[in-house]
Amino acid sequence: MTKLDTIKSREQRTGWILILPALILLLFVYGYPIARALWLSLFTQNLGTELKPVFSGLDNYIRMAGDGRFWQSFWITSVFTVVAVLLELLLGLGIALVLNERFRGRSLVRTAAIIPWALPTALIALAWAWIFNDQFGIVNDILLRLGLIKTGINWLGDPNLAMVSVIIADVWKTTPFISILLLAGLQSISPDLYEAHAIDGATPWQSFYKITLPLLMPQILIALLFRFAQSFGVFDLISVMTGGGPGGATEVVSLYIYATVMRYLDFGYGSALVVVTFLLLILAVAIASFLLSKIRKRLSGVA
Amino acid sequence: MFYIQPLNRLRKFFHNLGFWRSTGIFTALFLSIILLIKIAIAQQPVTLNLLMTAPDADPWRQGLVKDFESKNPGIRINIIEGPNATNLIEDLYTSAFILGDSPYDLVNMDVIWTSKFAAAGWLLDLTNRMTPQELAAFSPKDVEGGTYEGKLYRIPLRSDAGMLYYREDLLKQVGLKPPETFEQLMNISKYLQRNDKVRWGYIWQGRQYEGLVAMFMEVLEGFGGFWVNPDTLEVGLDRPETLKAIAFLQNTVKQGVSPPGVTTYQEEETRRIFQSGQAVFLRSWPYVWPLANQKSSKINGKIGIKPMVHAPGQSSAACLGGWGLGISKSTKHPQEAWKAIKYFSSREAQRQFILKAGYVPSRRELFTDPEIVAKYPHFPQLLKVVDSAVLRPPIAQYAQTSDILQRYLSAALTGRMTPENAMKSAADETRRLLKAGQAKKPA
Amino acid sequence: MTVITQERPKKEIKISWKKIFLFIAIILVLLFCLAPVLWQLLTSFKVNEDISAVPTVYFPTRFTLAHYIELFDRRPFLRYIFNSAFVSITSTLLALAIGAPAAYTLARLNIRGERPILASVLIVTLFPGILLFLGLLEIIQKLGLANNYLALIIPYTAINLPLTILVLRSFFEQLPKDLEDAAKVDGYNTWQMLIQILLPMTVPALVTTGILTFIAAWNEFIFALTFMTQENMKTIPVAAAQLGGASAFEIPYGPIAAATVLGTLPLVLLVLFFQRKIVQGLTAGAVKG
Repeated sequence: MTKLDTIKSREQRTGWILILPALILLLFVYGYPIARALWLSLFTQNLGTELKPVFSGLDNYIRMAGDGRFWQSFWITSVFTVVAVLLELLLGLGIALVLNERFRGRSLVRTAAIIPWALPTALIALAWAWIFNDQFGIVNDILLRLGLIKTGINWLGDPNLAMVSVIIADVWKTTPFISILLLAGLQSISPDLYEAHAIDGATPWQSFYKITLPLLMPQILIALLFRFAQSFGVFDLISVMTGGGPGGATEVVSLYIYATVMRYLDFGYGSALVVVTFLLLILAVAIASFLLSKIRKRLSGVA
Repeated sequence: MFYIQPLNRLRKFFHNLGFWRSTGIFTALFLSIILLIKIAIAQQPVTLNLLMTAPDADPWRQGLVKDFESKNPGIRINIIEGPNATNLIEDLYTSAFILGDSPYDLVNMDVIWTSKFAAAGWLLDLTNRMTPQELAAFSPKDVEGGTYEGKLYRIPLRSDAGMLYYREDLLKQVGLKPPETFEQLMNISKYLQRNDKVRWGYIWQGRQYEGLVAMFMEVLEGFGGFWVNPDTLEVGLDRPETLKAIAFLQNTVKQGVSPPGVTTYQEEETRRIFQSGQAVFLRSWPYVWPLANQKSSKINGKIGIKPMVHAPGQSSAACLGGWGLGISKSTKHPQEAWKAIKYFSSREAQRQFILKAGYVPSRRELFTDPEIVAKYPHFPQLLKVVDSAVLRPPIAQYAQTSDILQRYLSAALTGRMTPENAMKSAADETRRLLKAGQAKKPA
Repeated sequence: MTVITQERPKKEIKISWKKIFLFIAIILVLLFCLAPVLWQLLTSFKVNEDISAVPTVYFPTRFTLAHYIELFDRRPFLRYIFNSAFVSITSTLLALAIGAPAAYTLARLNIRGERPILASVLIVTLFPGILLFLGLLEIIQKLGLANNYLALIIPYTAINLPLTILVLRSFFEQLPKDLEDAAKVDGYNTWQMLIQILLPMTVPALVTTGILTFIAAWNEFIFALTFMTQENMKTIPVAAAQLGGASAFEIPYGPIAAATVLGTLPLVLLVLFFQRKIVQGLTAGAVKG
């Protein structure tokens, strides 16, 4: 009995030694900035105070409530996130279904399908800005040749079209991530299920709807959660493609935060923006993990 | 593992040497390397780093920098090419200074950055480096633009101001004088348009960007209004003058004097329309003149310039732009940096630079210099414009203040908000912003 | 995508229909994934007149390396590549060195507080960099780490830790536990067992994770943008995004395309060689976490 105890406590000690460096680093890089933002958000520290922190209570949050630009950027972020993630999910599911079929050269196609995910977003943004260029862009050229438009469209210069452009670029860049996750899910579904269902006389559409979709739900939710968080914090793609323009039409929250800190030097207000974004993210994670556990429970109940 | 063997041999070598002896060798080697580096640094010329937009870099290198370096062999100027957009240059300077390890010794500043950089404590105070007599040679507004809370931080090199371009030939044809007031500008435009002399009357920059507020400043001041009073931080955006200014701009579109797309134009779009001969009037900067008078231009030799129009009883206002140099507080070579600024802003250097690159000078006498006037005959007229210059509010939080106005002004001009509501919100947000800083300023 | 609404009995026709659909779908997938990259590749070799030709030139007859030469000529592009590589490799190795032991603890050793630790590791994988850069900026100011490789290596190691831990934990959990028990019976203590028996077996999983962390570090933008302001310390994504042209209204499309190609090439090669491992790693990190 005592020997087991010492083994256990030795195991505990070893465990802590092994995990401690990782925990310290995570606290340093994740914990400190968030805690610091919480604290600093209670101060006014900007060019008006010559960059010295002056305690101002909840002033920053009150200012945020009346800040039209914050609400606009929040709205833009939400539209961007919802539209982009939904499109990615649909497209990603389609690609995953294709990649799950058996055909010659499948491995090569799978390789090609990962490439967009692996490339640096900032560089990809440059590539897409070139594709959507108003004078020499290939999109305009194709549309002109097809006779769909008469003169070149200024994609990145029009508020709505700029939004469309960054969403397309984001969909291109991150759909592979979703399709990889969903492909793994598809592969784990036993073919027997489909055969049994087909014998019962179900059409492929029915078996997709009845078997594939429900069994894929956990993967779909996880993919959605990841993508939601990433796209809510999207920075490099939009910063490089449009810089938030034209006229703030694509200014997402993270661009506004960055400008508040790095351009206006409004550190206190920037911290308050960080805090609010953080809380929203946590809220979304909580909702998603609640749904996930619910679905997992239902699935295990069925199986 | 090809590197293991030599590594082992090395280890054996040191092992044989013994601990103390190898430590001694190491120390000696280390010290001599440091000594060598020190000597090398001492003999190297001082290098001053300076960031600017890529298109500016070449004229600088071939003109000012070359001359300066040949006269000062101990100092080198290293020009770093940044992106084309000036707001990105501002961001690069800003992030370098925030981070605390700024690679830049000289700071090439747009007039609207001065207060921000100075308030943040990034610039060296240059007040006592120039006598009032020396400063008097520059355009007074250019000097004021380089001043923050009574201290001088930036020496002007290039001036820039907004003005009205007009088609001299068209006005002559119908026997009219260039307009003085907003009303005259509208009437002349409509008259010429009605008589099929020209497609559009007046072209201005209406896109949501810094150029919008620069243009708006001139109209606002022309109606006798104001944006932010830099001394009292009073905000004038919800006053009736502001609404009159907006109404004028809206009317240009409503009455067909300006094209509907004007609210999406920046400088280049407006210049292209004007240069293709499609408009009588254009509000823009001095850079248009040489381009519009190119041989290939349709309006070559047919244009004139004058200060901006104004309401009766008010006076013209030209929004001041332009570039100047300051010295970074973190530089290790303030003396050399000052030497460079002194040279770049000197009469002779400016003269040469203007003759070569065609920029607008910051020294008043150069506008009437015979050799320069021979090459740029519009400079005396340009001096009148520069003398009517007004500053965008020289306050520390200018960038934020400007972005607020840009958003709401654009919303009003494109009809997304009524002018009253837009300007009410803009004024409120601006007041909240400036109060947040000001009321709690540490003593 | 390959849904068929044909009548049941015509089986042969149905199969060929399905094949055609599949074929078209594969072509579309390939086009979707590769076309933008290939277009950038083609642009980088076009001469300037062809780049700005209207209508667009799809099959240029003239090719040039001028844009690549300009990159190395006018800017320290080799240095950017070195910076990216050095920072990415170092932080990858560090993330593995710190993350693998932590993953083992979470997989095998029952320490108190395991659940909250795991939960927080999971949550921080979702934090975007924008939430962290302000706090990190202050740390870097105070420690004087501006324009120092450490200013990127430390955050990159940290942002890669959660993924490293999750992937390796799922790997350790799949290992048969008998192995470790047998080692203990043979008289190995925990440390010896870890280093002499477990580590060699972990190498494939380490490679998988390493590829993922390398890609993430190479692609990072916001920290690199903020913490490196000296020209010769910049990484490729930032340097490419800041390329300027020779005149105010001309954007240097050619050099930008060339920079894109150079910056993406290492990653394309990684994907070509390690496609399977990347897929494994991603799914292990996300799904099983």
